[in-house]
Amino acid sequence: MKKPINPRLLSVVSFSFVFAYLLSFLFEGQVLYSIIDVYGVNAHPYILSAIIAHLAGLLTCGFFIKSQQAAKHTVAVGMLICILATIPFFFAPSILWMLALIVLGFLAGWTVAIWGYSLKAFTLKNERIKSCADVLIYSNIIMIVVNVVAMNASPMIGLLLAMLCLVIGSVLSLQLPVDVNEVTLTEMNHKPVSDLKKPLLVLCLFVVIITINSGLMYQVINPAFEHLTGLVSWFWALPYIIALAFMRNFPLHNKMHRSLFLYIGMGMIIAAFITFMLLGREAIDYLVVDTLMLGACGIFDLFWWSILGEMLSYTKNPAKVFGIGLSANVLGVLLGDVLGVIITSIHLSKAEVAVMALTVVCITLVMLPPLNKQLLLLLKSHVYLNSFDLMDKDRQEGILNQSQMKDPLTEREQEVLQVILSGKSNKEIAAMLFITESTVKTHVRNIFSKYDVSSRAELITTLLKNHTDS
Amino acid sequence: MESIRRRRLIFVWIFIVCILFTLLFVVIQKTKMMVVCVLLSIISFVLLYQQNRLYSTAKLIYDNRILTVPSSIVTTHNSTEKRMTEETIVSTFGLILGNKVYKWGCDGIRGVRLNNVQMDHEHIRLIFGAENKKFHVELLHSLSDKQKVAEIAEKIRHETGVQTQITDW
Repeated sequence: MKKPINPRLLSVVSFSFVFAYLLSFLFEGQVLYSIIDVYGVNAHPYILSAIIAHLAGLLTCGFFIKSQQAAKHTVAVGMLICILATIPFFFAPSILWMLALIVLGFLAGWTVAIWGYSLKAFTLKNERIKSCADVLIYSNIIMIVVNVVAMNASPMIGLLLAMLCLVIGSVLSLQLPVDVNEVTLTEMNHKPVSDLKKPLLVLCLFVVIITINSGLMYQVINPAFEHLTGLVSWFWALPYIIALAFMRNFPLHNKMHRSLFLYIGMGMIIAAFITFMLLGREAIDYLVVDTLMLGACGIFDLFWWSILGEMLSYTKNPAKVFGIGLSANVLGVLLGDVLGVIITSIHLSKAEVAVMALTVVCITLVMLPPLNKQLLLLLKSHVYLNSFDLMDKDRQEGILNQSQMKDPLTEREQEVLQVILSGKSNKEIAAMLFITESTVKTHVRNIFSKYDVSSRAELITTLLKNHTDS
Repeated sequence: MESIRRRRLIFVWIFIVCILFTLLFVVIQKTKMMVVCVLLSIISFVLLYQQNRLYSTAKLIYDNRILTVPSSIVTTHNSTEKRMTEETIVSTFGLILGNKVYKWGCDGIRGVRLNNVQMDHEHIRLIFGAENKKFHVELLHSLSDKQKVAEIAEKIRHETGVQTQITDW
């Protein structure tokens, strides 16, 4: 009897090939740069068009694709169009290049966003970090192979390999089952009480800030080591892959571990820029700077990919959440690119450019710890609000009546707390209880004070902790 | 309430005028006058901020009012007695006595608390404040309906957790 293929592995491998195509060609890939170099045309309009189209694709996908069946059909058609749209790059530059990049960027955005369905359906919630890491590792290994060929042999052979990746990815993704497995059925049937807007917004801000550094890196550090073509082609993403492999096998569920890795990543990025300023431009210097920089990128990327993966459990439209989350990454790269172009175009010395870039990096990094704290609190409260909604009445009352606080709540405060736990905003609470919004705010402030917390998210986390302890 | 609102509006105008004069002296380059106006702007901004906070508290009290009475007697912690003939608004978050605002239950466990409420045929007595700084306010409520009194007592209990002591009914 034929052994059924593991859908998780199949979805990871198929998406890795598609993602490798994106990394090696479409999204600032070496293949695209090499082909543009061959013809000596200005790369910026092409690169920018592809990125903007990709951003648009990621953002819009979830608004049109609302079922796994529709997702599968879209991927099949989209891949076919992508394969056809890659053909003009075998020929001399023309208007077709620009059109093709726009179409490719947009459709690739849709394809990537659609993988949110597979990630949710075929991987358990606590295993999603592994699936994300696997995709990033495999796709980067394939990208290295394609890059080495494109940079050292021929860009056209590199393009051919990138196309082959797309074909393999398409064929494999067509083998994926459509039915959602049992694990996710319960998740799908439960309507979340509070929406994901706020946590997703904070995550997006977090991702934008993190990836601004990647964009800066492309513009500031990369040109300094352009002469080391051979080494760059294979070593570039190696520290990234190693960091991902390490993180993949390290338990990140603990809040302390997550924060620790965040600080390690921040330290590595700053160290990368400092060593870039202090060291020369030789091969050994490149190894040090690239290891620090890409190692940090690996840590950061898996950090937010795993959070995004976990968020999929609380949405009925994974393509929308996944697409929006990844669009923040693309936006960050775009902003970093723009910043890098501005910094490098004002004709400063290399040291001054590096100092300016380092200043930007430091400013952005300072914002990460409070954002991380806020994000974790929001996610925790989101998870808790949903589990609270699923609890029976007695357990809900047990949580509301717990006495582990500095001062007992008044009856009115208890009413307000109950509505807070159903995920309502101040405005909604005011409408429900027939009081003004400022009155609700006063009650909420009093509740916070009595539980010794400073935010709604912290309150919910405290309630959960108290209840578990008791 | 209206007088608090009016006073806030006056401070808004003072602040605007100070800013306009500052700009004027910047334009005509009168440095000394400009510095004076900047200082005045800062002072008026601080006062405006205070008035704004007072107005917000007054509005909160007004929105949650349970009783309006024509006069009151306020006794402070050092037994100074003050008779107020202005309209008094009683709410679950405090009192508005003319221009004065006394709040409780607005700032969590560290804020002023309502400690005790007593009602009889003629008066309602409210005791609030910290241990060492207590205020006693006695109001003529002019209520004759027992049901109405019970409703007020229930509202106070529901909103503040303080059980009203009703006597002589």
